[in-house]
Amino acid sequence: MTGKEMERVGEYVLGLLDDADRSAFEAEMARDPKLAATVQRLQAQFQSLDDTSTALPNNPEMWRRIEQQLDASPSAAVTFPSGKAPPDRAWTPLAMAASVLVALGLGYLAGDLTGSRQPIMIAVLIDETSASPGAIVEAFADDSLRLVPLEQFNVPDGKILQVWTLPDPDIGPISLGTFADPTTIELKGPDLPTPSAGQLYEITLEPAPGSPTGRPTGPVLVKGFAKPPV
Amino acid sequence: MLMLMPDPSDMSDLMQRVARGDRAALASLFDAESGRLVAIAQRIVRRRDLAEEVVQEVFVTVWQKAAIFDASKGSARGWLTTIVRNRALNLIRNDARIDFRDSDDLTDLGDRQGDALAAYNALSERDALRACLERLDEPKRRAILLCYVTGLNHGEAAATMRAPLGTVKAWIRRGVASLQECLS
Repeated sequence: MTGKEMERVGEYVLGLLDDADRSAFEAEMARDPKLAATVQRLQAQFQSLDDTSTALPNNPEMWRRIEQQLDASPSAAVTFPSGKAPPDRAWTPLAMAASVLVALGLGYLAGDLTGSRQPIMIAVLIDETSASPGAIVEAFADDSLRLVPLEQFNVPDGKILQVWTLPDPDIGPISLGTFADPTTIELKGPDLPTPSAGQLYEITLEPAPGSPTGRPTGPVLVKGFAKPPV
Repeated sequence: MLMLMPDPSDMSDLMQRVARGDRAALASLFDAESGRLVAIAQRIVRRRDLAEEVVQEVFVTVWQKAAIFDASKGSARGWLTTIVRNRALNLIRNDARIDFRDSDDLTDLGDRQGDALAAYNALSERDALRACLERLDEPKRRAILLCYVTGLNHGEAAATMRAPLGTVKAWIRRGVASLQECLS
């Protein structure tokens, strides 16, 4: 690692990057597991400073307030479509996708929610063959969408990547746009109903300049379901 | 100092139970960790009520997100600590209830320097971070401790240390790079 890289890792762990730099750095970590591991190692080393704080007595009033909030919001278990906890193997892709977010130090999920542009839904799209996360989609209230690829998609000549969503099974999949160059992309989708929790997003490989039928025709590279950020 | 450290494997086990919607497991996690986490948050947000609010929100988040905890990527305690620190930093950077530009009175700055120094002094002699911090020049060490332990940003650290902003930024950049070289 160069000196410059170490400086950025250090400033990230010290909480000194501004919002824009922090998001850029977290996206980099999502693409680079080695960088993410370096950050996590330094975080763990710095936490010996946190461990020097003298624990305050537990406040039972706090627990009462937490329980009140839990009663008002769904439990973790109902996030599984079946409504009951599936066998461990069944949610391996979810857990793995999630581990990327964990590698982000949860900045992504627990991060700056007061920024001017907050997604109303986030979907982590999974490559089902390797069970690894391939992209993150953030959907905004104005139908626009931000896509952060976590994997280098292999796009053969004459092909293009197309992003789809399924707001309503009766209407069928709707194209949100196409892209060839897998970097962070902002797409302005068509006028659609506000995305809802559980809505399907997927990326397929289509002939350029886009699916000839207006429906997905090529192989599904990654797909996932939307969840609202906390 | 008496520190009750829950067994790491117990913590990870609790987290898995929380992911399955086991509220008793969340309660055990709260009993084991909340006091420590409030203390960590309070070093950053200063006010006890805000520190408790941070930790309370984190426990609600943990309830919803425990499924994404991955024991192979680090300890459950470390995960909780990171989330609490991020929340606390977000709060002091973004919450209108806190305005540090108004609060640079001497007592407050003195408290922060005191907290940062106390944390450093309380590190075990065998701790690798301590050994590497010891090797840094005093101003670099102090700037890094102020930012990490009490959540100051560059400008606040410069005001606290009565040093030019550019100098403090350079101390921190060079200091964290040397630290990593030393730690690796």
